[in-house]
This record gives sequence, structure tokens and C-alpha cells, in this order.
Amino acid sequence: MAQAGGFSFDLCKRNEFLEARGMKGPGFTKTGTTIAGVIFKDGVVLGADTRSTAGTTVADKNCEKIHYIAPNIYCCGAGTAADTENVTGMVASQLELHRYATGTQSRVITAMTLLKSHLFRYQGHVSAALVLGGVDFRGPHLFTVYPHGSTDSLPFCTMGSGSLNAMAVFEAGYKDDMSKEEAMELVARAIRSGVMNDLGSGSNVDLCIISKEGVEYKRNHEYLQGKTYERQFPQRFAAGSVPVVRERVYDIRKAVTVVEGEPMEMES
Amino acid sequence: MLHRPTSHSAAIGPGPVPSLANPGPALEQQPRHAPQAPSCGSEAFCVDPQALSSSHPRQHTQYPYVTGTSVLGITFKDGVLLACDTLGAYGSTKRYKSFDRLRKVNDVCMVGASGELSDFQYIMRLLEELSDDDFCMDDGHHLKPAEVHSYLTRVLYNRRNKMDPLWNSLVVGGFHSGKPFLGTVGMIGTSYTDAHLATGFGNHLARPLMREKHHPDMSEEEAVALMHECLKVCYYRDKNSINKFQLAKVTKDGVSISEPFALETNWGFKLFQNPAANAVGTW
Amino acid sequence: MATALPVRAQVPAAGQATKQHASWSPYDDNGGTVVAVAGDDYCIVAASTRMSTGYSILTRNKSKILRLNPKCVVASAGMQADMETLHKMLHSRHVTYQFNHRRPMSCPATAQLLSNTLYYKRFFPYYTFNLCAGLDDEGRGAVYTYDAIGSYERVGYGCQGSGKELIQPVLDNQLKAASPLVLPQQQWLSSLPLEQAVDLVKGAFVSAGERDIYTGDDVEILIITKDGIRTDSLQLKRD
Repeated sequence: MAQAGGFSFDLCKRNEFLEARGMKGPGFTKTGTTIAGVIFKDGVVLGADTRSTAGTTVADKNCEKIHYIAPNIYCCGAGTAADTENVTGMVASQLELHRYATGTQSRVITAMTLLKSHLFRYQGHVSAALVLGGVDFRGPHLFTVYPHGSTDSLPFCTMGSGSLNAMAVFEAGYKDDMSKEEAMELVARAIRSGVMNDLGSGSNVDLCIISKEGVEYKRNHEYLQGKTYERQFPQRFAAGSVPVVRERVYDIRKAVTVVEGEPMEMES
Repeated sequence: MLHRPTSHSAAIGPGPVPSLANPGPALEQQPRHAPQAPSCGSEAFCVDPQALSSSHPRQHTQYPYVTGTSVLGITFKDGVLLACDTLGAYGSTKRYKSFDRLRKVNDVCMVGASGELSDFQYIMRLLEELSDDDFCMDDGHHLKPAEVHSYLTRVLYNRRNKMDPLWNSLVVGGFHSGKPFLGTVGMIGTSYTDAHLATGFGNHLARPLMREKHHPDMSEEEAVALMHECLKVCYYRDKNSINKFQLAKVTKDGVSISEPFALETNWGFKLFQNPAANAVGTW
Repeated sequence: MATALPVRAQVPAAGQATKQHASWSPYDDNGGTVVAVAGDDYCIVAASTRMSTGYSILTRNKSKILRLNPKCVVASAGMQADMETLHKMLHSRHVTYQFNHRRPMSCPATAQLLSNTLYYKRFFPYYTFNLCAGLDDEGRGAVYTYDAIGSYERVGYGCQGSGKELIQPVLDNQLKAASPLVLPQQQWLSSLPLEQAVDLVKGAFVSAGERDIYTGDDVEILIITKDGIRTDSLQLKRD
């Protein structure tokens, strides 16, 4: 059968029937999140915390929430982890093809339009709440995209379960025409506010600074807290605790030859 | 005989009946209670008998009507500050714009309320009765802040046990024996004390700023500046708030509640004016 | 006929009232974890101090432990308002007991009292998950673990609250308690020296603080021996 694009809805009716009879579907990893962005004098700063949760437990203590869209555009995602990753990935790929076809830099509103039309089509079932930022030939842009497909264009914005905590910091500290350093500090402070006050957000602060000069992706820009206690009597297993039943030694050099290679070209 | 629908149906609630909200055949089949019916022949103005006899409990006490938004409180070196706006909102209507939500209990203690304001007035009556008793005893004794806090916790918790909650989050501020006291009670009796507090929306908007900037030996000026900043942020982001605030202070010199004042706000950031100017073609 | 007319004039049946208004529930979960470990001549009780509702932190410093006397404490997780009420109730019953009997209530007696107090609210339960811990009449560590309506059991160690699923298996593994099904009955007290048991409890809380969003800020640790109650504390992550 020819594979058409888009989601497979084959089992929706069956699942609906089963759920009506008491079956519970699998849970999803949500990024109960604080994400934020600010426009400064000559660019955009995006920020995100790094906790992802499944219910009330932390699923990942250092996940990445600032996704690549284009060399000049990045996007923070809140909501269901799979949705944010896939929706940003799809748009990134469409823009890549568009750049091959046109040979021009991608524009932020193009990314925004692709995102919102995809999200609107699925009427909120693709639960991605996004903060999209980038710099194109018209200058810096910052958008929020809601799961139902509406968008905002604002000088500062926040999303996720910690959005109010972060917004409090922005409302108290935002100024016109900030320098890059001021903007970075403000966004980091906003994310910290989410990390410290919102239980859905936690761990570290990621930043991404986009300006005409290029992108600085500062993964784990701030590492806020380490473990507060080391065990004094840790559980140690003596060597030989696990009995060796059988031993077989392979000489891997016979099967594999090591060749010096060129390092692969990487994105900045 | 002109038929008019009852005005106290459980479905419609009190007040005039909207023209489309005909209670329908179910109500019309009710036996008429002749003794209560006015002689003009219209329906009696009484509680809908169906609502009274129905098996489910009365529900109109289980949601608020006129509400106040966040109350903020912080301790400082020699006292406690409480602050909130003066709005009594009816749903999202700004219904009462000069409602005093901060009230003095006695010389060492004050209370601020968010939530249902009629319930707050009832609570204040309880506290006034206690203060009156103290006055009549004439032994110089009065309730300490921690006692008022504990009392309110019991009142709210007991009402939740009756499934008839007082729809309030209260903040108690006081100063006694050289120490500031700041505590809060929620409508199901959840209570705690802390160096800074906020109810409702304030918990999301003001608390982060307080956690950043508060320290217990703040001067009064620092505390007032922090409070103003928090109030302003709450006003910017809480749609049920207005720019008319009161600030109350308890120190060793007693309780003082300020006249209402407004804070200077700024809605004119450059990029607010045409945020999509650089994004021609934005929907 | 008016039959086809207004849907909104129908009286909603109980339980299916339209959600136009903020709905109300008498219960809330304020999170937090409590742990107790009994040893041959000690008992450790620890509780996290974060109090939260939903995704927000109400306060970072709220004790969950009621100290009744130097040989018996009660630690509770769950809903704070119910916890406070339960603790006030136990405290006042303990005061009355002392007036009547001229001595503090023993740990096993407190355990039975707590069970009765919980079961008394069988049909509108205290939403609390309790541990009663201390030293028994022979001076050995004693831990009693409860459900919300008063079913209880004496155990060698116990854990309740939001971090229970994370901590209980670690205690099971490390304290090597014999199954209560093994006959003849075996030692179920911890054979660990006190310092190692405290270390274990701290390690368990740090791990729970990493993965349970409701466990954090600080841990209040009480060490109960025949000489009285000693306190210790441990800071956890605040995010």
C-alpha cells in the first residue's frame, strides 16, 4: 500500500472502544517546563530549563528543549516531548529543503507559519507550546505558538508550567534595547525563577543567543545545584561477587581495522 | 392568569429569569404551594421546591460570587507588610472598586483576604466578636497573631468538613513580643507560616520575586519597594486586578492601613507598539 | 411545545453539574515523604519539609513530625490540613493521658491510639499517610506503618508519602528484612549501626529528591535513643 504522509489513525476507533471499556492508554513524557525568550538590541535570547517529567517523577534531568529549526532560527518547546521534538524536526526539514530550492536564508515567519498551520490542523491534539526565535534579513523576531495554532509576536514571552514564574521576572526586569549580556542575564534569571518555583521545571539553564553574527548555543549555561550529600557508607560489591560462568576471548583486531578518518563537519 | 416562571430555580439561580430560560415541563408539574403564592396569581417567590426536595445537596455555596484576588505579605526587620488591590470582582466584572480587603483585628494583628468577599465579612464578624469578648473581659489580654491564625485555620477547616467551605485564602500578619508573624490559611484549612506569602495568582507571580529578593532583616523601605514591585507584576498579569492598592503595616507601634494608591505603570515598550513590524505577512 | 427548548434550564443532576465555576474538593495533596528506620536501640525518623500544591511550592520549611514525648513521634505525609488536625488531636489526647496516668504514652499505645483516631474517620478519612515511631517498652526501635483509615502493622522500617515508590525498595534491599512469612519469625529490626542507618536514610532522600518533584528543600531527621531525641538535618535540591 502506498504510504501517504501524516499520522496513522488506523487504531483510533479501536482504542476509543477499549478506553470506553476501561483500558488506560500509555502515558506520555511531558516537559513540564519553563521556556522563555527576549528580543534585545541586535538579536534574540532563548532559554529553557532541562527537566522532563512523567507524571510526578522526573524522566530526564538534563534534556534539551531548545530545538534547531534553521541556522538562524531556534525554537523552545513545552508540552508533550514527542510532539515538540517532531513538530520542530518536521519544520526544520521543510526549511532545509526550501533553502536548497531557493538558496536564501530561512525567514522566521516562514517557520512560524509552518508551525501554526500544522498545529491548527490538529486542533490542539499535537500539544506543542513553542517559543520561536530567530534573526533574518528583517531583524530579530520572537513568537509564541500555542498548541491550537494561535501565535503572538512579543518582545518577551514565556511558556510552559513555569511561564508565570518566568513572566514575573520579565515584567519586573524588561527594558527596551538591552545589550546581549543584559538579555542573557534576564532570560537566565527568568528560567531560574521557573526552576526554583515550579515543580514541573528543574535542573539547569540552557540558553541560545541568536544575532546577525551567528548562534551561540549555551547548553547548560548555568548548572544550578549538584547532589547535596555523598553516601559515607556506599554499597560496594567486592570483586568476584558475580561468579564467572564462562569466559571467551575474541581478538577484535583480526576482524576490524582502524583507519584514520576526516572529522565530520558539524553545526556550530 | 399570567404564568411566570419561578425566579429561584436551582438551575437559574436567584434574580430575574432570562426570557429563554423556561424551566420547562418538569417544573410546571410541581404541585403549587398555595399558602406561599401571592394573590396576584403568579408563582410564589420561594426556593424552588424541587431544589429543596431533590437528593443532591445545595450547591450555590460551592462557588464564589464576588471575589478578591491575591493578597501579598512579607516580613521585614521590625514588622510585617500586607498588600492587595481594592477590587471586588463579580466574575470578571470589576463590580466593587473600593473594597477594603485588609482589615485590622487588634493592635498586634491584621487580616487580608482573597476569595469570596461575603465570606470574608462573615469571618471578620467572628473576629470582631472575639475582640469584643477580649474588650469586655477588660484584663488587658488580646489575641496574639498566632492565635488568630490558628483560630482561622480551625474555622476554615471545620467548614470544609461540613462540605460548606468559606471560599477564602486568608493572610494573617502580626507583630508580637518583638517578632513578626506571617501566616496563611486556605479554604480547606491548609495553613503555614513563612517569611513571605502570597495567595492565589500571587503564588505564581509574586512569590518568585520574593524568594529572589527577600531577606529577614530588610528595612521597611526595602520591603515597601519589593512589595510595590510584586503588586505591579501581579497587576500586569492578573486580569482580575486593578491599579488601586492598599498597603498595611504592623510593627511594635500597631497596625496602620494606607489610603488606596496607584502605582506607576509602563505599557509603552518600543516593541509593544508594533510587535510584528519586522514580520510582514504575519497572520 | 417547549420540549425542544432550552437545555440550560434543566437542573443538572448531582455530579454532572456543568463546570462553569471553580469546582471544590475537600482534599488536596501537599506532597512530601516520611521515612522511619528502627534499630536494636535506636529509631530514625526523617521527613522532607517541602509543602506544595499542584506544581507550586507553598513553603520550603514545614515540619511533618509531631514529637509526643522523648520515646515516640508521629510523622505524616499527605494533606497538610488533615495532618495538622490529626497532630493536634493526638497531642491533646497525649496531654490528657499524662494527666490521667502520670507518665507519657508508650509507643505501642500511641500506635493503637493513632489507628483508632484514623478509623474513627473511616467514611471521611484523614488524607494522611502516617508512621508512628520510637522506642518500645524494651528500648528497641519501633516503627508502625498505616494506611489512611487506620490499618496498621509494626515493621522494621517504613516509608510513606510521595517518594514512597522510590525509597521503599531501597530500604527493602539494604535493610535485608526477613519476610514476615518466614517461620520461625526472624529478626526484622535493622542490624545496621546507627551511623550507617542515618547514612542510608540520607542517601535515600537525596535520590528521591532527584526524581520525585514533591520531595525537596530540606529533610528533618530525628534520632531517637534512650538518651532522648537528637536532631539532624539535610539539605536537598530546591528545584
